[in-house]
Amino acid sequence: MSIVHRYKTGFPTLPLRVYHEHMNMNRPYHSIPKSLAKPLVSSEVQHQISKSKLKRRQQLAGYLTIAPALVLILGLTLYPVAYSIWLSLLEKHSFFPQERFIGLENYFYLWKDPEFWSSLWLGVVYSVWTIFFQVILGVAAALILNETFVGRGLVRGIVLFPYMIPTIVAVILWKWLLNDTYGVVNYWLFALGIVREPICWLGADHIMLSLIVTSIWQFFPFVLLSILARLQTIPPELYEAAKVDGASAFHRFIHVTLPQIRGILFVVILLRSIWMFTKFDTVWLMGEGAGAGRFIRTLPVYAYMRTLTYYQAGLGAALAVIMFAILVVCTVIYFGLFREEADIG
Amino acid sequence: MLGKRRFLGIGVIILIFLFFIPMMASSAEKKVVRIWHTETEPQSVKAFQQIIDDFEKLHPDITIKQEALAWGDLEAKLTAALAAGSPPDASHGQAVTCASFYAKGLLRDQEDIAESIGKNNIWEAVRRQCFHDGKYYGIPHSAATSLLIYRKDIFKAKGLKPPETWDDFIKVAQAMMERDKDGRVTRYGLSLPGVGLFINIAVGELTKANGGRLFDRKTGRPTFTSKEVIEVLDFYKKLNDTVLPPGWLGHGYLDTFANLATGKAAILYQGYGRGAGYIERYAPKEMANPDHFGVLVKPRGPSGKETAAQIDAEPWMIFKNAKYPEEAAMFLKFFFKEENYIKYLHTVPIHLLPTLKSVRNNPAYQANEMVRKWKEWQDMQYRYFETGQAKPTLIIDWEDLRLPFGLEILGSGIVPDMVTDAVRGMPSAQAAAKAQARAEELITKLGYKRW
Repeated sequence: MSIVHRYKTGFPTLPLRVYHEHMNMNRPYHSIPKSLAKPLVSSEVQHQISKSKLKRRQQLAGYLTIAPALVLILGLTLYPVAYSIWLSLLEKHSFFPQERFIGLENYFYLWKDPEFWSSLWLGVVYSVWTIFFQVILGVAAALILNETFVGRGLVRGIVLFPYMIPTIVAVILWKWLLNDTYGVVNYWLFALGIVREPICWLGADHIMLSLIVTSIWQFFPFVLLSILARLQTIPPELYEAAKVDGASAFHRFIHVTLPQIRGILFVVILLRSIWMFTKFDTVWLMGEGAGAGRFIRTLPVYAYMRTLTYYQAGLGAALAVIMFAILVVCTVIYFGLFREEADIG
Repeated sequence: MLGKRRFLGIGVIILIFLFFIPMMASSAEKKVVRIWHTETEPQSVKAFQQIIDDFEKLHPDITIKQEALAWGDLEAKLTAALAAGSPPDASHGQAVTCASFYAKGLLRDQEDIAESIGKNNIWEAVRRQCFHDGKYYGIPHSAATSLLIYRKDIFKAKGLKPPETWDDFIKVAQAMMERDKDGRVTRYGLSLPGVGLFINIAVGELTKANGGRLFDRKTGRPTFTSKEVIEVLDFYKKLNDTVLPPGWLGHGYLDTFANLATGKAAILYQGYGRGAGYIERYAPKEMANPDHFGVLVKPRGPSGKETAAQIDAEPWMIFKNAKYPEEAAMFLKFFFKEENYIKYLHTVPIHLLPTLKSVRNNPAYQANEMVRKWKEWQDMQYRYFETGQAKPTLIIDWEDLRLPFGLEILGSGIVPDMVTDAVRGMPSAQAAAKAQARAEELITKLGYKRW
């Protein structure tokens, strides 16, 4: 028997005859003495009965154990989703009990609503750019922080800071930095001679860019943390072997690091995509819905406005359902495209 | 000896008792009245708490919980609370909010509070803030109007005259601008907030100052495509192109005060008496006085005969379906007692003008340094009130408060979007038509169409 065969089956294969003899399987059933056969059969049946009873009991206990969790999931996740879908089929004021069933009319309305398409587009722009740069920055920072240098622990703590502070603080901080009349960013750009006139970072033309920068700053530490955790589990032998083979740093990254982190990258991109596409707080605080905020009115903000400032709960729910559907479709496509990474992740 | 598990079990039970029994007991004994207001400045919150403490001493079975909310957030939070079926017992609200909630049957009338204050003692200028079908449904916690605040020292130095029309105003603002030797602007003529709520306010008062309306008097149909509203948009365009900082759409209300106090802007069109406090705190000491920061009568538009300002006087609303509306009413009666009320007014003296006529001449109220120092600012507000030129947000005349959809229009962003479209280059008539279509559609969908 070859080593390969042993490795694949996990144990050395016995000749079939020896195995059957050992297990008494070659002896025909009628050749077994009755005295031996009867108790053997009945104890087997008894054993099976008690086994199935035990199994049922275990199953019941299992169901009982997960029942609270199931109830919670049904109550807290499925019910709201189902209720949202139901609400999206109604014409309903946000705080009045009166409602009217209108079928898919809210969806037809949104199909023709330019605000909806504009919000969808703004949401896509915001999500794609923030995710792209969060990943680039997060991976780069993780690679640096995976190296050994003096003060690494301190730097690791500092780079996590943006992710730890509350959103409201992060947004106020950035709004202060970017203010066109007294902001520090314009002051330095001006002092360094890069600009002649202050740039209106929070005005209509640049507010999306400002929002993207703020969000990258706020959320890249999540990518960093996830990737760094994975990097620390890669066996150093792999890098040593690659070095011996003469691989450059770039090649080591492409052929060793990247294949090792692709599973976690898959998960991180998936999570960040969902979170950025549905991000509300940062976007709302940056623009407050109107004025220049109109130019960052993404789908979650628009859904909020329809529900709580236009007071059209039905339309707000329809927007939420559309967001949910978009995310489901994108997730399915994503899983289809990166099947292997999904298995690793 | 107790086993480890039994010991732990007993510990857990004791903890549960310790946490839950007092809670159950206190909730059974005390009535917790929730009150939301928009006076977020620390000194106002403190004074309000002192009034609460005094009230609680007299009513040991009642606990009042105050929550100070940002003005711009109030309507959305109230709606969310109403949707969740747990409104506060009493809350501030704008006049249009109060009107909408009244129309929807959500408010308790406040005739008893008005009686306890003395109906004739409520200042006529703010009586109609939330007065429907012959009853008070809201009594303003205080009164204020928007103000045109300007750098008086620069104005005088340039020998300028108070502007009477919008064209004059642009010329004055341009004259007050300052550039460096390279032609860069170092002081803008005007600073305006670009936040949705403030654009709603400005469009309302500019339309009124231009002799126009935002909604048809009889049918309530939006009149955004009227000549007067289109002229308002043209005015915005001119301001945007000449005297406003390029990023003004991203500026908040406090940014505009920062711009004025630090010399980055010469005029605020949407200033308020509250600004006197900011100026005292943040402007250079030698400048923090009415000789440097004055107020002017707001100009009128090309189609208008007189100016207009906005009333900032949120009525207290009491929600019928809240848990303790009667206790909230008891508290408000206590709040309006002169000795308590004056304490509250003095926390922002130039902004919180008294709703009660008797307080205005009360020596205790007058004995405030800021009231004396910034008298010019107070007088300008009294002027707007007494002439009837001041009206609440989006309201041109009091009859508009009968429209039940003001709250929805205010929150929708339709009016700010119209202004944004115009200043971003869309022809004013087109921006107005777009907003008109959106507003009509919203009103129709809400079931309020009457045309």
